[in-house]
Amino acid sequence: MQLDAKIPGGPLAQKWDRHRFELKLVNPANKRKFEIIVVGTGLAGGSASASLAELGYNVKTFCIQDSPRRAHSIAAQGGINAAKNYTNEGDSIWRLFYDTVKGGDFRSREANVYRLAQVSNNIIDQCVAQGVPFARDYGGLLANRSFGGSQVQRTFYARGQTGQQLLLGAYSALMRQVGTGKVKMFPRREMLDVVAINGKARGIVARNLITGEIETHTGDAVVLCTGGYGNVYFLSTNAMASNVTAAFRAYKKGAYFANPCFTQIHPTCIPVHGDYQSKLTLMSESLRNDGRVWVPKNTGDKRRPQRIPEPERDYYLENKYPSFGNLVPRDVASRNAKEQCDMDKGVGETGLAVYLDFEDAIKRDGKEVIEKKYGNLFQMYEKITAENPYETPMMIYPAIHYTMGGLWVDYNLMSTIDGLFVLGEANFSDHGANRLGASALMQGLADGYFVLPYTIGGYLAGTPLEEITTGHSAFKESVTSVNDSVEKLLSINGKRTVDDFHKQLGHIMWDYCGMARNDEGLKKAKGMIQQLRAEFQENVLVPGSKKDFNQSLERAGRVADFLEFGELMIIDALSRQESCGGHFNEAYQTAENEALRDDENFCHVSAWEFTGKDKEPVLNKEELKFDNVELTQRSYK
Amino acid sequence: MTKTINLTLKVWRQKGQKKKGRLETYKAVDISTDMSFLEMIDVINEQLTLEGKEPIAFDHDCREGICGMCGAVVNGRPHGPEKGTTLCQLHMRHFSNNDTIVIEPWRSRAFPVIKDLAVERSALDRMIQAGGFISVNTGGAQDANAIPVSQEAAELAMDAAACIGCGACVAACPNASAMLFLSAKVSQLALFPQGKPEAAKRAISMVREMDMLGFGNCTNETECEAECPKEISITNIARLNREFYKAGFFSAEK
Amino acid sequence: MNWLVNTLGSSIGKKLLMAITGLGFCSFLAGHLAGNLTIYWGKDAFNSYAAHLHSLGPIITMAELGLLFFALVHILTGTTLFYQNFKARPVRYSMNKSAGGRTIGSRTMPYTGFFLLIFIVFHLINFHFIDKTGTTIYQIVHSAFENIGYVVIYVIAMIIAAIHVSHGLWSAFQTIGANHVKYMPFIKVVSYVFSLIIVIGFGFLPVYLGYIA
Repeated sequence: MQLDAKIPGGPLAQKWDRHRFELKLVNPANKRKFEIIVVGTGLAGGSASASLAELGYNVKTFCIQDSPRRAHSIAAQGGINAAKNYTNEGDSIWRLFYDTVKGGDFRSREANVYRLAQVSNNIIDQCVAQGVPFARDYGGLLANRSFGGSQVQRTFYARGQTGQQLLLGAYSALMRQVGTGKVKMFPRREMLDVVAINGKARGIVARNLITGEIETHTGDAVVLCTGGYGNVYFLSTNAMASNVTAAFRAYKKGAYFANPCFTQIHPTCIPVHGDYQSKLTLMSESLRNDGRVWVPKNTGDKRRPQRIPEPERDYYLENKYPSFGNLVPRDVASRNAKEQCDMDKGVGETGLAVYLDFEDAIKRDGKEVIEKKYGNLFQMYEKITAENPYETPMMIYPAIHYTMGGLWVDYNLMSTIDGLFVLGEANFSDHGANRLGASALMQGLADGYFVLPYTIGGYLAGTPLEEITTGHSAFKESVTSVNDSVEKLLSINGKRTVDDFHKQLGHIMWDYCGMARNDEGLKKAKGMIQQLRAEFQENVLVPGSKKDFNQSLERAGRVADFLEFGELMIIDALSRQESCGGHFNEAYQTAENEALRDDENFCHVSAWEFTGKDKEPVLNKEELKFDNVELTQRSYK
Repeated sequence: MTKTINLTLKVWRQKGQKKKGRLETYKAVDISTDMSFLEMIDVINEQLTLEGKEPIAFDHDCREGICGMCGAVVNGRPHGPEKGTTLCQLHMRHFSNNDTIVIEPWRSRAFPVIKDLAVERSALDRMIQAGGFISVNTGGAQDANAIPVSQEAAELAMDAAACIGCGACVAACPNASAMLFLSAKVSQLALFPQGKPEAAKRAISMVREMDMLGFGNCTNETECEAECPKEISITNIARLNREFYKAGFFSAEK
Repeated sequence: MNWLVNTLGSSIGKKLLMAITGLGFCSFLAGHLAGNLTIYWGKDAFNSYAAHLHSLGPIITMAELGLLFFALVHILTGTTLFYQNFKARPVRYSMNKSAGGRTIGSRTMPYTGFFLLIFIVFHLINFHFIDKTGTTIYQIVHSAFENIGYVVIYVIAMIIAAIHVSHGLWSAFQTIGANHVKYMPFIKVVSYVFSLIIVIGFGFLPVYLGYIA
C-alpha cells in the first residue's frame, strides 16, 4: 500500500492553519450523534476524552487501572517544553521545532513536529487555567529550567512531578465530563481487540478485569492512547501494566507499526541490583543540569568515590562534548555510559553504573538550593539505595524509558485503519529516532487537546458511517478469537510462570536489541525469541480462572503479545542498516563513535504490515522530506 | 550491603467482594533486603503459582511511588512503617530476620475488597467528579503568565496537589474518613485565582458527595497526615473547613 | 433554612457543632474555675461569690439553658459521629498501630465524653439540685469532700476532663479552620496548658477542702 501522510501543502508555518481550515466540520448539534471510544487515560487519552466531550461528542473511555488518574504519564518527572521564550533567550517555535527534529536524528516528519512546536504554547496556557501548580518565580510568573538537547531554558515544571500534575489536570477535565455524563468511564478494562467493519474501526472488545467478562463496545471512531512498549525489555522505567497489547492487536487488524526498533534509553536511572527486580526507577534528567557525570580514569578502580582524587576522575561527557557537556541528548549520554562500562570503568557492585556527582553544585549553590531543586529526587534515591546523594555521588545507569516507534499515523493521527486514531507514545510521529527530554508530555497533550479534536471531526464529517450494533458478525468473530486465546493461555498448564518468560525475553531484547545492536546479534535474538515463543505456547503456567480478577492471566496475554512483538522490533532493527538516534547499529558509526545515518537509503519511516501469524511482515516506506532543515550530522560538541 | 532475611507473612485472602476472607500464613525465605515490599510479594506469588496455588492479588503499577495504585496495611500501618513512603518504595531492609508481617487490605465501607489485597476505590474519583476541577474548556485559556500567582500560593498548592489518591488517609483514619484526600484537592484549587469562581460550589458539592459515599467523619485524629505517603498536611483540612463555611454561610450556593 | 440543615448536617457541619459547643464548654470551665478559686480565700468569699452569681437571676437561668442546649447538641452530635464512624469500617483491622497522629485524648473522645456526661449528672445532683435551705454552698461542698470516695471520683473526673479537653481544644481550632503554620504550635501548647490547669485547678480543690482547709 502506498502510504499517504496527508501532509497539507503550503509553507511549513502555515500548514496547520491551512489544514484546520480545510478540514470538514461537524456542526455542534450533530456532534452528540457520534460516539467515540478512547482507550487509555494518560496525557493523550485523558486530554482527548475531555476535549472531545467538551465539544459535544459522546465518549466512552477505557483504562486498565482502577482510576484514570493512574496512567503512567503520571511518573514523568522533569517537565514539559514550550516555545514561550519567557526567559528571553531567543527561543521560538522554529527553534523548538528545529531542536526536536535534530534531536530525533532527522527521522521524524517535519510537518508534525512543527505543529507540535506551534501548539506547545497553548498547552501551557491550558494547563495553567486548569490549576496545574507549575513552579513560579518570586514575581509570581512561571519559572523555566533547561533540559537535555537544548541550549535554552524552555521547560516548565512542577517540582519533580510535572507528569503527575499535568495528568491530574487532564484527569480533572475528564472527571468533569464524566460528571456531566458526556464521558462514560470504564476503568479496569483491557482492550483486547479492535473491531473493523468495512475497513473502518467501529468498536473494541475489552475484558473486564474484575469479572473477567468479555465486553463489546461500538463507536464511530476508536482512539488508542495506550502508551509505549518499553516493557518488552521486562526491566524498564515503565509501569508494570504498560504493554503493547492494544497497539499490537490493532496491528494485527491492519494498522501498520512504524519504526518499532526506535527505543529510548534514559541515561539517568538507578542501576539494577538483583534478579528479583521488577522495574527500574528513573531519576529525572534535570539532574544533569547540576550533576557532573564521571567514572574513574583507571579501569577497575574500586575505591569509594570520595577517595578518588580529582585528577583520577574522567568527566567524560564534559571532555568529549564541551558545548553541551552533561546536557547532551539522552541517546548520546546513554551510549557513552555503556561505553565507559564496557571499558571496565563502571562503578558499583555490578560495574554497571557511572557517577552523577553533586559535590561541585552543592559547593557552588549551597545544599539548600540543590535541595529545593532536587530534594524529592534525592529522597527517592536514598529510599531505594539507602545512600545519601548529598554526601556520596549518585550511581546511575541507562534504562529503557520510552519508545519512539508506534502505530503509523498520518498528519491527522489516523492509522492505516480508517477511523482508528493513535495518540501520544502509542503513535510514532513526532520524535523520530530519539525523543528530547520534556517532549513526551508536550506531545501527549498536543495530540489530545489540540490536534485530535479537529482532525477527528474532519473524519466523521467526511465519512459515511452505517448503523452498527455489537450483534454484527465482526464483533462475534472478535469475541470468539479473544475468548479462544484466553482459554488457550489457561489450558497450557505448563511449568514456567509468565514472569519467568517475560524476564527471559527482556534479557534477549536488552542484550541484542538494546543500546547497541549488530546484525549477528539481532539474527541470533530472532531465533531465540521464536524458540521462547514456542516454549511459551507449551509450557506457560497461568493459574486461576477466566471469570475472575486474575492478574496472572492479564500478564500472560501481554507477554504473549510481547513475544511476537519483540521479533517485529528485531526485524525492523535488522532492516534499518544505519544508525540513528536510539537505534545504534555498531557497523555504522563515525570515527568518534557517534551514530552514522544513511540519509540516502534510510531517510524513511518503516511501517510494518501484518501478513498473518508466523509470516514475515511486509515493509512499507514513507519517505521523509526535509524542506526546511538541513540534514546534518548531529553534533553536540 | 545485600543480605537476606526470612519472614512469616500473614496475608488477607478473600476470593471476592461477597466472600468471607481470612489471614493465611506464608513463609518468605531468603528475601533480599534490597527488594521492595512488592517485589517480595512477587517472589511469594511466583512460589504460589509453581505450587499450583492462586497468587495473592494486589494492585500496583508504577512502582515508583507516584501512581497511587498500590497499598496495603502492613502490621497495622498503611504503606508500612516508613514515613512518607508508598508500599512499592518500602524496602525490605526495614524489616528484620524472622519478623512476622501482617498484610491486610485498606478497610473502609467506601472501599470494598475486590480480591485479597485489591480494593475498589472509585469513591475517590466520584468526589473529584463532584467538583475537583476548574471548568475551563480546551482552547479558551489566556496566556499562562497573565495570572501571576505568588510563589507561596503556588508552593502550598503544589504541596496539596502532590496527593496520589492512594487512599492511605482513609485506611489510616480511625473513622475511615476521606477528608485529607478531599481537602488536598479543594486546597489546591482554592489557592489559585483560577479556582476562585467555582470555590463555593466546589466545596459544597464535593463535601456532599463525600458524605454520601459512606466515609466516616473527620475528628482530627491526624493519623492521615502521619501516614500520607506524600506527607500532606492537615492544614489543608482546615482550609477545606474554611472554604466550606464560606460557601455554606456566605455564598448563595445551596 | 434547608441550606442551614445541609451545612450543619454535613460531616464538616457536625464537626463545627462539636467545635463551637466544645469551645463554649471550655470557656464555661474557665469561668467556673475562676469562681471556684474563691474557695482559697475562705468560705465567706466562696459563699458571697455564689450569692452574687445567684443574684444575677434571669441571666444565670439563660446561661444555664444555654449550657443545657450546648450539652444536648454536643451529646447528640457526638453520638451521631460515634455511630457513623463506627459504621464506616465494617471489617476492622486485625492489627492496629498508630503512626503517631493519635493521642490519648483523640483516641478516647467518645468514651471520656460519655464518662463526663455521667459525671456532670452526678455533680449537678450533688451540688446543684440540692436543697440549700439552712446551709451554705461552702458547707455542702466541704462536707461532701470529707468523704474520700468523692475526692477520688472528682480527681479522676478532672483527669478525664483534661484528657478530653487536651484533644478537644486544639481540635476545635482546627475545625473552625484556624490552623496556621505560625499559630498552630502555640494553640496546641495552650490546649495542653489549659488541660493541666483543669486538672490542677479543679482537681486540687477537693483535696484542699477535704484535707487541708
